[in-house]
Amino acid sequence: MDLVFEEFYRSIPKGGEEVCGDNVEIIKKNKKTIVVLSDGLGSGIKANILSTLTSKIASGLLEKELPLKEILSTILATLPVCEVRGIAYATLAFLIIDQKHQLRLIEIDSPSAFLFRNNQVQKLNYREFELEGKKIREANFKFQRSDQLFLVSDGVTHAGIGGLLNFGLGWDGVAKEIERTVRRNQADLKYNINKLVKVFNTFYGDQAGDDFTIIGMKYRKKRKVNIWSGPPLKAEDDSLLAEKISEAEGKKIICGGTTAQIAARELNKKLEVGLKYYDKDIPPTSQMEGFDLLTEGLLTLNRVLSLLKKYKPGQIPAAGKDGASRFTRLLLESDSVRFLVGRAVNESHQSLNLPINLGIRSQIISQIAEQLRRIKKKVEIEWF
Amino acid sequence: MSKNTLKICIGTPCHLMGAADLLESVENLNHKLREKIELKTSHCIDNCCEKAPVAEFNGKVYQDLNPEKLDKIIRENIR
Repeated sequence: MDLVFEEFYRSIPKGGEEVCGDNVEIIKKNKKTIVVLSDGLGSGIKANILSTLTSKIASGLLEKELPLKEILSTILATLPVCEVRGIAYATLAFLIIDQKHQLRLIEIDSPSAFLFRNNQVQKLNYREFELEGKKIREANFKFQRSDQLFLVSDGVTHAGIGGLLNFGLGWDGVAKEIERTVRRNQADLKYNINKLVKVFNTFYGDQAGDDFTIIGMKYRKKRKVNIWSGPPLKAEDDSLLAEKISEAEGKKIICGGTTAQIAARELNKKLEVGLKYYDKDIPPTSQMEGFDLLTEGLLTLNRVLSLLKKYKPGQIPAAGKDGASRFTRLLLESDSVRFLVGRAVNESHQSLNLPINLGIRSQIISQIAEQLRRIKKKVEIEWF
Repeated sequence: MSKNTLKICIGTPCHLMGAADLLESVENLNHKLREKIELKTSHCIDNCCEKAPVAEFNGKVYQDLNPEKLDKIIRENIR
């Protein structure tokens, strides 16, 4: 069974702030995943710059696969230190997991991680050592198939201060909340992260007293998605394409009104066209038995492209109900994406004098594929 | 009472030329009129995309519409 390491995070800025002082970097390279979390001192832009600086330095060094000790001393030597308080301007936690499921976690000044194993949350076994006058915690263990690991910034362990509690949740309180949430729904990490953010926000009385971030990680099975967009150049390929998509393994999307009509005709299925606009710019989606999503063509594809361009690995995709948001979510939830692209020119679009970059399907799909490869998805395109 | 059928095209050209406004205008019709109409959407009506937006009311195709024209068509042709 093919497994893939999946990770999601959410960062919530302190109440009243525009940006979050925590920063997360996720890098996937050579079947390794690197996750870096940094929390800048204070809040707002200053904290954001500090944490971005710290996490970028760390992830850059980690990506180059230098010896860990060297990386640590470089980071510790370059981390700016507050002159007044004598503490570092930013905290840092990072982990590396390789294809053998071996996980190495390093924490500097940040709360200990939460490991969900055998239905309960436990603390990791840490080895502590000192480097450049700083206490560093290291954990090294085998990450199991059903394990889930959560990293948080101190805004989470302090949740409740200035809100419902006098002294905040603390590590044990957070552990209890994680345990309760994950037990109920072990499969859906995204949902759990959203739920936990809601819980912590509630402890704060919906006005976070500090920036907070939670990252969740686990293994899951690989997922596939197939997309058919556009009628083929040769009309006799209609039936071939319809057969290909209907027999494909994984989720299925048809993108384009004409394409949907061809599929309905070839597969002898009923096409129900929707009439609800969730977003004024994106035409409604349709329904057909056996397919997960049927959307309009060009406008939806363009929106999908712009949503993908903004996406940062590990983020939880936007929750919109319109065709483009649902399309984007299906793409992001999958690990391999297969496009079946028809290259026939749609006569009806020629009359519109669309700008050239909006009008050419093959170009937009190539750009979407490029964006998907950027976030390490496997992409296949077949042209017809 | 025979039901009236209104089909509005939501293909890309019709959408760009204001199909959403047509749909909205139908939803905003007065209640008595609205309940006599069965509203449907379609990916293409009659391949006349250069005269978008297009709608079909009781079997007849109308082109180059806007909410006012559609309103007039409905009031004149309702059964």
